[in-house]
Amino acid sequence: METRPRPPSRRAFLRSAALGAGLAVVPRHVLGGPAQEPPSETFAVGIVGCGGQSGEDVRNYIGHAGGAYKILACCDVDQRRLAQAAKKKFAGAEPYTDFRRLVERTDLDIVSVATPPHWHALIAIAAMEAGKDVLCEKPMTRFIAEGRAVVDAAKRYGRVFQLGTGRRFGASRSNRSRQVHKIMRSGLLEKTDAVHVLKGGYGVKRYCGRVNLKPEPCPPHLDWDMYCGPAPLRPFNRHRFGWSHRFYWDYEGAGLTDLGAHKMDPVQWRYAKDTTSPVEIRAYAPPAHPEACGMWGWAELSYADGFTIVLDGGEWGKPYEREKTHHVDLGDLDEESQQKVKAMPQPEPLLTFPQAVRTRKKSAGHAEAAHRAVAALHLANIAIRMGRTIRYDPVKEQIVGDEEANRLVNQPMRAPWHL
Amino acid sequence: MPAPAELKALIDQMPDHEKNGLLPKDIDKERIEKAIAQIAEGGRPYVLGILDRLLPPGKGDDSKPHYALHVLGVHLSQLEDDAPRRQFGQALASRLGDDTPVGVRKYLCQELGTAGGAEAVPALGKLLTDSELCEPAARALVAIREGAAQQLRAARPRTRARNRVTIVQNLGVLADEQALEALREALGDSSQDVRIAAAWALANIGDADSADRLLKAADTHKGWERIQETKACLLLAEKLLGADRKADAQRIYKHLRDTRTADAEKYVREAAEAALAAI
Repeated sequence: METRPRPPSRRAFLRSAALGAGLAVVPRHVLGGPAQEPPSETFAVGIVGCGGQSGEDVRNYIGHAGGAYKILACCDVDQRRLAQAAKKKFAGAEPYTDFRRLVERTDLDIVSVATPPHWHALIAIAAMEAGKDVLCEKPMTRFIAEGRAVVDAAKRYGRVFQLGTGRRFGASRSNRSRQVHKIMRSGLLEKTDAVHVLKGGYGVKRYCGRVNLKPEPCPPHLDWDMYCGPAPLRPFNRHRFGWSHRFYWDYEGAGLTDLGAHKMDPVQWRYAKDTTSPVEIRAYAPPAHPEACGMWGWAELSYADGFTIVLDGGEWGKPYEREKTHHVDLGDLDEESQQKVKAMPQPEPLLTFPQAVRTRKKSAGHAEAAHRAVAALHLANIAIRMGRTIRYDPVKEQIVGDEEANRLVNQPMRAPWHL
Repeated sequence: MPAPAELKALIDQMPDHEKNGLLPKDIDKERIEKAIAQIAEGGRPYVLGILDRLLPPGKGDDSKPHYALHVLGVHLSQLEDDAPRRQFGQALASRLGDDTPVGVRKYLCQELGTAGGAEAVPALGKLLTDSELCEPAARALVAIREGAAQQLRAARPRTRARNRVTIVQNLGVLADEQALEALREALGDSSQDVRIAAAWALANIGDADSADRLLKAADTHKGWERIQETKACLLLAEKLLGADRKADAQRIYKHLRDTRTADAEKYVREAAEAALAAI
């Protein structure tokens, strides 16, 4: 990955002259600081996970946002893939097979997490604990408690977190979405019957796991134990590895979380739900398999104010006909409230990741927003997996009155990995 | 006791997978739910009948009973009457002994973690000293929670290698105050993983008396271990603040503020300063 070309600044020139040509990147955090103009405009990046998505977030959320970066380190549990990445894609980057060795480096500003999702939270947290800002692939987590732990770590260490979906940028530029956002944020609409149906595009049939998997010899270049990490250590089978890991509950939540993350992000921003979660979740799906993700029809996520998001898979069972999209509108308010909303300032522009890193403010896809978005999707999956309607407390982040369903909110991890 | 003949017909109602193992796209929700409700009515003999059909991975196709057992557990866990679910848990627990293949026992642990309860805890506890089954058993125990800490505590002195980490970590997950002494001792373990797990566990319990030990550990070590033990210190301070022990928390923050003077640890110093300012 090439650093985005830009003319050297005076500071960069002076710094390179002082340190010598051999040391091209000095981490921002060493020379700069929260209240200072950064002496280096180049972010030193370490990437964990060298698969297909690796480097995409760095390119999209730093490079395309006007930031310069250099990839100094990369990591993968597959030595063959790692060697290829270190040779070509991230040429010159130091290769690691253990992310712990990468995050403990003191010359990195940013860690980009591009592993399968069962590792996202743990690596993001570890990076923040080591003082790095984080770019994290979507879906942010594999289960709800992981998201809260990421939020806590970002807060504890004052780190910037950005999720790898940027669709809320588009929503925040739409006049229609901004008006809805203002109405919902104003608190003037106590109850609403608004419904937003997110129809199709979840790859229900494509994101389907296999059952009765036979143990296969693990390739010698793959550290399968480390790949499984916090998930159960099962016998190796190639379908659990690579792109198809998405089809197993151990590692992800199928297309509902993988593709749903993109769909939920702008809607959550539009309806100002970045700090809360649905309170009632019902789903239509056949009984779920214990390990493999399978079919589902739809899920309804209702918030405390009555607003409902519908995830309509559209690929299995009877077509969804219960609700139709009905937006929030100024007309839902009385005259006085309408005037108040009109007088409200426009929402502040969302910060890009480089802007957030430089100013130490929250980025657009910050940890809490990202957590709430994926938590809603996890809740849909829990309703599917438990085959029943569930009720959720968005403050305690617990399912109410259903002990067994609650076990999926905070799932045990295989030691030594813990939140 | 042999399972009634009807059971086979009910298990056969479970979905056939496609040739390549994929779950079927035309899966019939109503048919499966009806069959599972009938299996549930069959009680313990039917559960045992399903268990008899389970195979370890790679030893044949048990996909139908495998699926049926899970769906049955989920179904029973939503009934108002807890007795059938308890009976289910007892049946699974009864098959956790040595005469059941390890691969099947791992699956039973998983399913007890889904729908099991206190009735399965003693049987799961017996697996904690088994090198292969400790982890799946511990996973089920912390999912169940009730009575789990006692089993972990009892097993701790008899566990070796990686299983020591499993036990220590899960005592922390359960915030087991009765394990404090053992956890403090584990801070000096020869394994880095055990030391880190013990530090986190003590912090998660909110043990004020461990503050100095944790600070010393974090001060002494380098790299990953130092990062993790520093995290434990910050977590402990937060727990102490939550327990209204402001002075104890301040002491931890001040120590980190005053000792993390290197550029590379400026973020820790700033985190401690921010926390102190917020108190």
